[in-house]
Amino acid sequence: MKTVAVIFGGRSAEHDVSIVTAISSIIKPLELSKQYHVEAVYVAKNGAWFWDNKLKDIKLFSSGAIEQFIARTQPASVQFDSGLTLSRGRGLTGRTQRKKIDIVFPSMHGTYGEDGALMGLLDMSGVPYVGCSLETAAIAMDKVLSKQVAAANNIPVSKFLSFTSREFAHKQSAVLERITNTLKYPLFIKPAHLGSSIGISRATTETELRNGLEVAARYDDKIIVEEAVQNLIEVTLPIIGNDELTPAYLEEPLVSAEDFFDFDTKYIRGGGKKTGGGKKGAQGYSTIPAHIPKDLYQKAEALGLSVYRALGCSGIARIDMLIDSKTKEVYFNEANPMPGSLYAHNWRQKGISTMELTLRLIQLAEARHRARQAFTTVFNTNFLKQF
Amino acid sequence: MQVVVDGLLTNYESLGSGKPILLLHGWGDSSKGLRSLQKTLSVSARVIALDLPGFGGSESPRSAWGLDEYAQFIAHFLTKIEAPHLSAVFGHSNGGAIAIRGLGRGWLQADKLILLASAGVRDTDKGRLKIMRYATKAGKVLASPLPKRTQQRLRQKLYTRVGSDMLVAEHLQESFKRVVADDVQADAKTLTLPTLIIYGEQDQDTPAVYGMAFHEAIDGSTLEILPDAGHFVHLDQPQRVERSIKDFLV
Repeated sequence: MKTVAVIFGGRSAEHDVSIVTAISSIIKPLELSKQYHVEAVYVAKNGAWFWDNKLKDIKLFSSGAIEQFIARTQPASVQFDSGLTLSRGRGLTGRTQRKKIDIVFPSMHGTYGEDGALMGLLDMSGVPYVGCSLETAAIAMDKVLSKQVAAANNIPVSKFLSFTSREFAHKQSAVLERITNTLKYPLFIKPAHLGSSIGISRATTETELRNGLEVAARYDDKIIVEEAVQNLIEVTLPIIGNDELTPAYLEEPLVSAEDFFDFDTKYIRGGGKKTGGGKKGAQGYSTIPAHIPKDLYQKAEALGLSVYRALGCSGIARIDMLIDSKTKEVYFNEANPMPGSLYAHNWRQKGISTMELTLRLIQLAEARHRARQAFTTVFNTNFLKQF
Repeated sequence: MQVVVDGLLTNYESLGSGKPILLLHGWGDSSKGLRSLQKTLSVSARVIALDLPGFGGSESPRSAWGLDEYAQFIAHFLTKIEAPHLSAVFGHSNGGAIAIRGLGRGWLQADKLILLASAGVRDTDKGRLKIMRYATKAGKVLASPLPKRTQQRLRQKLYTRVGSDMLVAEHLQESFKRVVADDVQADAKTLTLPTLIIYGEQDQDTPAVYGMAFHEAIDGSTLEILPDAGHFVHLDQPQRVERSIKDFLV
């Protein structure tokens, strides 16, 4: 039986959401499938890695006991031995335990996890891993780059400008002038690399714009300022696949991502009966499928799939779009290479159970790995013999 | 959303439009605790609720703050979001003490004041405080040979048993000490604005006698003591509290 390491937590503002994703949507269903050994690898907020079966229990985190666990547990280490091996010292004797990992299932959101950093480490180790590649993750997690890539592929995006935090700090009036001369209020100001709704402000006046830029500059070295789409309908489309793509339902969120995950966490703590269909998705926190005219639905679905391809996504991603309900124009907003909880609630409604979803994602990871191995990266020559 | 005030990332929510009303939460709480009241009042006003530094989604102060620093911070926050003059300020528990201090010293400007189970009366239970202080000091000495983690556990138990808010926000212990040592009755005596004072009859943390003290201190104030309500009056008697506040704001 192959061993899957689920890596979660991390040095990110979305640390907590990542724990919920890992435990509820990956570890539990994979264990239930009895097709893989599952190892839980938790990256603490300080960057230390831990490997322990206790980390599979959400109560360790929800009760706050994780702090004591961290204080008395020796961090794990990772060996790059033509693959990936987890290792840790145990007990009074300090005996070392090792476990060879066959596949990694990253469950990290935001910085150092969803942005390609972890994928780079995994590429170096040569193990297959679930989800987007280093390059795609890095582009998708940069709101400016992903919009530029989309625009280069003739995918509509709302008008935007970007600045570095340094530019804002040193040339504040020039930055404000450029924005007000180029873009029309209302505006959204966002840190370019953060997920969820962290650090995002909406501005209808210059004071609000300045305040929003100040906040974004506290979170990131790159800031994006976008024109708001009028008559807005927000939709999101989870997609899986490498070459052949399977979209889930187009979903219309009714609350902010923050409230959604608040709810999710509470729900899991409350007993976890998260199954069952019903007309509403995410327990009434979103509409699945989105209640929009058929032609608009198809247009948005097609645009979502185009973005997935344009960014080079593989495995899984979620594409957020903005619709102007009057002009029927659909705009790409942002891509999420690791959707929170894999958007399992949506897939369930589509008829794909969470267990099936995780198993399929592992198959996709292995398929991509096989395809990549077919490329030549090293070969033997007599080059060094001439020295 | 967030705004940077005095270098601190500060989380707040503004609902509705019209003249601004500010809601200040108590120690250990956050703006979320007042969300229902905020939604109700936002039908006819712009209602702003912020997470005070160190609570909810706002960064912690970089040094120990007392009521003065919190009140001045709120004044800076209001200037930043262009709402320097409030039609009303509402404070629950420690939020009430901050509001009284801010208004009393002229840092905050408001037409009306609503105090809900407000803290800020510090001299009614001096004996108990003294005993607690000695017990804490003695406990520290006795526990000093024990491992640090055991010391922490004992401390947690002691504070929980005596019902102290000291460890509600462990990272703000020094601020907590400063805040609870500060009495605002003298500030209350200087206030002349219309004031509604609501307390819960069963409140153990800020008993109704505090309400009586503020009622006496603030000329022309109205005092309501609600039966079947504890310190979180707005959660125990939500409709009653909302009705009283709405009538008062008309």
